[in-house]
Amino acid sequence: MAGGSNILELIPFIAGAFIAFSIGSNDTSNSYGISIGCGILSFRRAIYLLFFLVFLGIVLQGQKVMRTVGSELVDLNIHIISISLIISSIAIILSNWKKLPVSSHQAIVSSLVGSGLAFGVSVDFNTLIRIVESWVISPVSAFFASVIVYRIMESVVSKMPPLKVERAVRYLLLLSGSLIAYNTGANELATALGPIVCYGLLTPLQAGIAGTALLWLGAYLLGSRVVETVGKGITSLDPFSGFSAQMGAGISVLLFTSLGMPISTTYCIIGGVTGVGILKSTKTIRSPFLKKIFLSWVITPLTAMILGYSISSLLA
Amino acid sequence: MFRDIKKFLVGGEKEEEIINLFKEHIEKLSEASETLKLAIESDDASLNYEICELERTGDIIRRDIALGLYEGAFLPGVRGNLYRLAELLDECLDLIEDTSVYFSLLNGLHPAIRDLCLRIAEINCKMVDYLYEAFNSLYQDSDLSDKTIKIRAKEQEIDGLKRQIHEKMFDIEIKSFWEGSILLKFLDSLISISDKIEDSADLIQVLNVSMR
Repeated sequence: MAGGSNILELIPFIAGAFIAFSIGSNDTSNSYGISIGCGILSFRRAIYLLFFLVFLGIVLQGQKVMRTVGSELVDLNIHIISISLIISSIAIILSNWKKLPVSSHQAIVSSLVGSGLAFGVSVDFNTLIRIVESWVISPVSAFFASVIVYRIMESVVSKMPPLKVERAVRYLLLLSGSLIAYNTGANELATALGPIVCYGLLTPLQAGIAGTALLWLGAYLLGSRVVETVGKGITSLDPFSGFSAQMGAGISVLLFTSLGMPISTTYCIIGGVTGVGILKSTKTIRSPFLKKIFLSWVITPLTAMILGYSISSLLA
Repeated sequence: MFRDIKKFLVGGEKEEEIINLFKEHIEKLSEASETLKLAIESDDASLNYEICELERTGDIIRRDIALGLYEGAFLPGVRGNLYRLAELLDECLDLIEDTSVYFSLLNGLHPAIRDLCLRIAEINCKMVDYLYEAFNSLYQDSDLSDKTIKIRAKEQEIDGLKRQIHEKMFDIEIKSFWEGSILLKFLDSLISISDKIEDSADLIQVLNVSMR
């Protein structure tokens, strides 16, 4: 029986490790995809930077998000953690397979709630509403933040000689990419490891070190096939617009991270890219792709919640 | 320490190298223009050898620029236009070389058109100077538009001289088909140099706009 309990405790570790590994393999492109594509950074340099900034993010600001997901939302037990993390892992596999920007945040939070309801534990709906509000507001805020960043940049660079602008854009792309990398640790990884930490399976520092190491491994082994940036699917981006979209998204995620809200960097980047795209010309926006993203944004949490509830009902 | 971190993160030497290569390329263009002017002025066809050497150097510089860009200098959106600029400068040098070769075959210019041709060669030199300034404006805090306007004005001046040359051509007695053909080719290539310089200036303007 005790052995069975130990095996059960292994499941969250394995699933959490898989999620951290997947974040590394997929999200390298979120942070440094543009920089690598533009030749500003080599892949090797990018993943070392990613490692450093993700670790910094989860250690400095990851705790708030961990608390929201791991202790405020659902009264956790080992079954709920295992089921929600397994469902999230499956969601990540499906998203890679179907090439859809499925949010691991949505999968984790929704499956936790579904599973919690099935097990009859206390679910804080106020926290859930706040999280869902964040999911709605964050891409919109990234949209506006990107537009503002673009406008500010436009007015600043109009006074600079073009090759100096080029040089400035290189540094700025690096800056916005680094902000996204920091947020990956502070929000993305914190969301995945929150239930494990708050249930007491790992200390925040242990989770930070292990999670960052696994994320780095994912980036190192699979990140080199740098996934095409989400932006390319919606509108074609020049580095200047790329920076504005990334920076807008980065600011938005950072803001919500400081509020302890688990939100998707990918969706914020989509919001930012759309904002810059509309600013340039509505003709550059590829509506079918946006519809597909929106559909995924609605279907993912619903599916995760139903799955979490169904599997937990069977076990309960 | 900061320099090392900067170098690790962003580099920048490649870009500097490319900028210096462009400057060198335009300097070679300037030297070739001056040498051509001197050849016409002093009726010295032997200067053709120097111009050919400068053209060969220009080829090497263009190849170095292409390699540098391929190795990752500058953002991808800028690379295409920069390479096109290197090509235009190279085409300009090719035209100067052609003009010089035709000039060496002509055994001097007819007095009716000599001064006009010399004037065009002088304007070409001036235009290359403006082009150099325009290129410098790409990375220095100075206005670009005034240089490109000057280049366009000089090009119009050459168009006027071209018309005058065509009018004077009727006064020139041509002894053989080949003499006439070579003279015509000489005049065409001499007049086309300014077009290439203007195209280069336009491309610099495009680079300027594309980065804003």
